Amino acid sequence: MSRGLSLLAAALLLACLLGLAVGEVLLGPADLWRGLLTGEGPGGFTLRVLRGPRVATGALAGAALGMSGAIFQSVLRNPLAAPDVMGFTAGAGLGALAVAGFGAGAGLSVTLGAAAGGAGAAVAVALLALTREGLVPLRLVLVGIGAGFTLTALTGFAMTRLPGPEAMEAQRWLSGSLAARTWGHAGQIALTALPLALLTAALVPALALLEMGDDLAAGLGLRVQRARAGLAALGVALAAAAVAVAGPVPFIALMAGPLARGALRRAGTAGPGAVLAGAALTGATIAVLADLAARAAVPGVQLPLGVMTGILGAPCLLWLLTREMERGGL
Amino acid sequence: MTGLRAENLTLAYDRRIVVEGLTLALPAGRVTAILGPNGCGKSTLLKALARLIRPQAGRVTLDGEDIHALPTRAVARRLGLLPQAPIAPEGITVGDLVARGRAPWRGLLAGWSAADEAARAAALAATGLTDLAARPVADLSGGQRQRVWIALALAQQTEHLLLDEPTTWLDLPHQIEVLALLRRLNREQGRSIVTVLHDLSLAARFADHLVLMAAGRVLAEGTPEEVLTPGALEDAFGLRALVIADPVTGTPLVVPA
Repeated sequence: MSRGLSLLAAALLLACLLGLAVGEVLLGPADLWRGLLTGEGPGGFTLRVLRGPRVATGALAGAALGMSGAIFQSVLRNPLAAPDVMGFTAGAGLGALAVAGFGAGAGLSVTLGAAAGGAGAAVAVALLALTREGLVPLRLVLVGIGAGFTLTALTGFAMTRLPGPEAMEAQRWLSGSLAARTWGHAGQIALTALPLALLTAALVPALALLEMGDDLAAGLGLRVQRARAGLAALGVALAAAAVAVAGPVPFIALMAGPLARGALRRAGTAGPGAVLAGAALTGATIAVLADLAARAAVPGVQLPLGVMTGILGAPCLLWLLTREMERGGL
Repeated sequence: MTGLRAENLTLAYDRRIVVEGLTLALPAGRVTAILGPNGCGKSTLLKALARLIRPQAGRVTLDGEDIHALPTRAVARRLGLLPQAPIAPEGITVGDLVARGRAPWRGLLAGWSAADEAARAAALAATGLTDLAARPVADLSGGQRQRVWIALALAQQTEHLLLDEPTTWLDLPHQIEVLALLRRLNREQGRSIVTVLHDLSLAARFADHLVLMAAGRVLAEGTPEEVLTPGALEDAFGLRALVIADPVTGTPLVVPA
């Protein structure tokens, strides 16, 4: 493992320890250590029931979002490409809400609803953006932004049809929240995201070729369209898996890739495999820290995770936009 | 039926026909330059020869076999393509970029083999980049960068090498450096080279065989002396020019009138 990835992994570990220790009940290092090792003492309950599943779910969902964003940024060769910017997470949110609204409850059906919504949004965006020259990345991003607004509006409409209490709960979930997560949620995201991450790892050589342009990649023996479709499908599925357990948390997918690239480059080279792994680590770190900030920022008030990532992510989006405009990418 | 051939080839984007009924045999073991005015279909032809576009009619054959009937990776082991604007991934080093040329030879889970390393070392040596292997590609000059891309294509170890305008954006000394490198690779390693070029006189200097195209057809092909005639230049480019012997090499030199 490279030095850059080790640093990012250390940052994640630190974020997780902070996330476990800090909250309404502050755990000292001794209590935290004892709780982690034995599950007993004042830290035991907090870790086992309150914060453990929350941090684990947040880290895994953040990792899935970070990897998803990095996939789209590489495949489309555009740092603004991410499932949240392009409306895929909004689609997944609408899909999950539709399933939950029909009273089918939580778990697998919500995951499938999120996956169907995300995939539906991705296909719709791809079809709308399709031109004679095929899929042009910038056009795809812009159409996706429009689709995201439409899907968010549809979600807002669906909310007005729900009864009051359920609408409140749905609103909380739709802004992206890790409140009251159980080990069931953590297990669900682990079981869905890990196989997807392994499949993505198998496609890293294809990603390395795609980065150099379609013609060169094809000349080096890659089936370009098939590889791109496979990677995009994995990116949508990873985002949907995260949305199913944490709601459509904005901006993590957008931020993780560029931040990971920056950190990795400062520490040496950054191949596509390292960037994907780094984006997963960074996404997990952002999710855990943002959730911690959302819990601890205002005493006595638990803000949803998505509010915090929105506050962090909006300046990051502006920074990426200005950088792209200076480079002439827009 | 050895080498690369186009048989009655018709190429189109959507319904716009770019190349129509073109038949061409590219001489094996030679340097061939494809010339012609902008938009005459030369880049499109090169892409079709490299199996990047499927012809509307006719076929491209590699040693007698239809190139679209062959598996993608098998073609990539025999025929390399350097497109017009390849993208260097951010922060990549020369050695790492050249290593990517080994893609068609590597298995999904196979590591970097001794053969891969030998091919990379030979490609770096042939292009004079051995000492720059650890440098980031972004730090290099335009001419050096073009040599890196050629080294990537060399590491692919293909018998045919197709290049689309490899000298565009380079100043004259670097254009000559790249073309001299291509000819040396042809002479020393016996690779068949096909390149799209703009500069007629440089093409005459460095290529053995010229193909002059206009409006999707082959207007003339043969040695530089046979192809670069005032009449052919008038027909292809609408250019009135004198063709004299290059005072240095004796090859045709085009002097616009």
